[in-house]
Amino acid sequence: MSKFQALDAYTRSAKYELLPFKFDRLEGDNYVITNMTGEYLEVAKPELHVLLAKDLATEHPLFASLRAKHFIRYADEQAPLDLLALKLRTRLSRLTGFTSLHIFVVTLRCDHSCPYCQVSRQMDDETSFDMTPDMAEKALDFVFRSPNPAIKIEFQGGEPLLNFEMVRYVVEAAKRRNLEEKRDLEFVIATTLSLLTDDVLAFCHEHDIILSTSLDGPTDLHNANRPRVGRDSFERFEAGLAKARNVLGVDRVSALMTTTDKSLPRVREIIDEYVRLGFNGIFLRALSPYGFAIKTRKFMTYDTERWLEFYKEGLAYILELNKAGIPFVEHYASLILKKMLTSNDPGYVDLMNPAGAGIAAIVFNYDGSVYASDESRMLAEMGDQTFRLGNILTDSYEDIILSDVLLDALEQSFTLSAPMCSDCAFEPYCGAEPVFHHAIFKDVLGRKAESSFCKRNMSIFKHLIGLMNSDASTRRLFMQWANAC
Amino acid sequence: MAGLAELTFDGQLYGAEAIQKAAYRAMHAFTLDLKVDGDNILCTLVGNITTEQEAFERAVEEFRKDVLDYQLRAQLQAETAPIRNLIIGLAFSNARLNQSE
Repeated sequence: MSKFQALDAYTRSAKYELLPFKFDRLEGDNYVITNMTGEYLEVAKPELHVLLAKDLATEHPLFASLRAKHFIRYADEQAPLDLLALKLRTRLSRLTGFTSLHIFVVTLRCDHSCPYCQVSRQMDDETSFDMTPDMAEKALDFVFRSPNPAIKIEFQGGEPLLNFEMVRYVVEAAKRRNLEEKRDLEFVIATTLSLLTDDVLAFCHEHDIILSTSLDGPTDLHNANRPRVGRDSFERFEAGLAKARNVLGVDRVSALMTTTDKSLPRVREIIDEYVRLGFNGIFLRALSPYGFAIKTRKFMTYDTERWLEFYKEGLAYILELNKAGIPFVEHYASLILKKMLTSNDPGYVDLMNPAGAGIAAIVFNYDGSVYASDESRMLAEMGDQTFRLGNILTDSYEDIILSDVLLDALEQSFTLSAPMCSDCAFEPYCGAEPVFHHAIFKDVLGRKAESSFCKRNMSIFKHLIGLMNSDASTRRLFMQWANAC
Repeated sequence: MAGLAELTFDGQLYGAEAIQKAAYRAMHAFTLDLKVDGDNILCTLVGNITTEQEAFERAVEEFRKDVLDYQLRAQLQAETAPIRNLIIGLAFSNARLNQSE
């Protein structure tokens, strides 16, 4: 007699049960199905209907995947529920940390005059647009009220190096406070590098400060996008980059690009420039509808469709480079892939639900105003104070964090109860973005059917899934991207 | 001239909510007038001024698919709601949200 039961003993005669999932159409007759934690499968339309009718045969190739990814279970199985609960809890665990990113706008002064700039810059000798020590101290009181064990302080402007004394002040004061607080404290300066000096670099080295800079592409494109006196933005950037890497290390300087109408036909050249300068990735960003970008109508110069062409061409080129042995990633895709292929949430503010405004990132402006996000203060610079949460000099932490302005925006934009979003299969990957939708629709929820944010992201989600499903080597590369960020 | 289309759905098979959700998704192309007539749900789709005829016809086709999708979504959601609530309960039952650290 065999020690083992026959195969029949393991065969279930009972029908499976459906677990919660959502579905959406991809190209043609194919559908994507996603569960509560963002795991996905692509299924053909007839299979979806059979699945929903609970008539899918156990020997069907899809059956094992559906069970493994918790789309179905047998009624007596508890493990799928426990695993889904655990993964859901992991994805949302960032919420218990609360605010991590604290942005200090130390000055509005800037030596550049970029037409798409999202901030209304001021002349570089106008010190009334500088943060004062009193404001900085109050802002630090606020920072250390956050329960988050990891605190990031990012200096923005204008050009923060034009008020470097305030950067120095905040870093030293924060580190003194941290002797007792013992948080994981990190500093970032967002700078064009045009005013970088040896003294600044020595200070950055001493305090382990990261530099986040801007690179829009080859010399002519970068200088056209970023005019300054002397028309030497790129030359200063390149010289500053070499100097900064030499002192701080290659991995301590990152770069962001902005896509203008001039960038659209040149995505390969832009990527080549990033590769040439030794960056390991690029963030292909669309222009945001805030600040000067709206005032100068730069935001209107290209539409979402054209930007998506630019994005997809860039992504295809990066995959070509990867397959030729050059390690390089597109950072926005990496963030999304982390949501699609792992149980972790990368904590990217634009793709958070509840929205990251205020509860993942918060901004202290040079004048003491507190804003729910960087975009909120950009709107404010254009006269729209909707997301001004209070003033650091006069309002308490509780006044600001529990303000109706913030809580209403978070609640009203919550995607799991928003029209269209609540039924959308891509909801686990997407974000609420109340500030963007307010900027466009004057409503934090917005009409998603008409939203370029929705159109852009839906298209990218579908594109990434399409690429993975059509090519196993791309899927393997994307797995690496997802686990790299 | 704006596009115009009239569709009829069997009220025994489709809920008005599924039709409304599909119309919401298509609002970039057209608006919907909805009327219940006995067992039938009558839909009049009026193209937006900015919607070209060809785009309108494509949007109507998408709408018909979306109505079926939303109907199936409603059935799936109703069937899985208790399990969904159970999973959320399991996920957060030990969150100690009401206790200080």
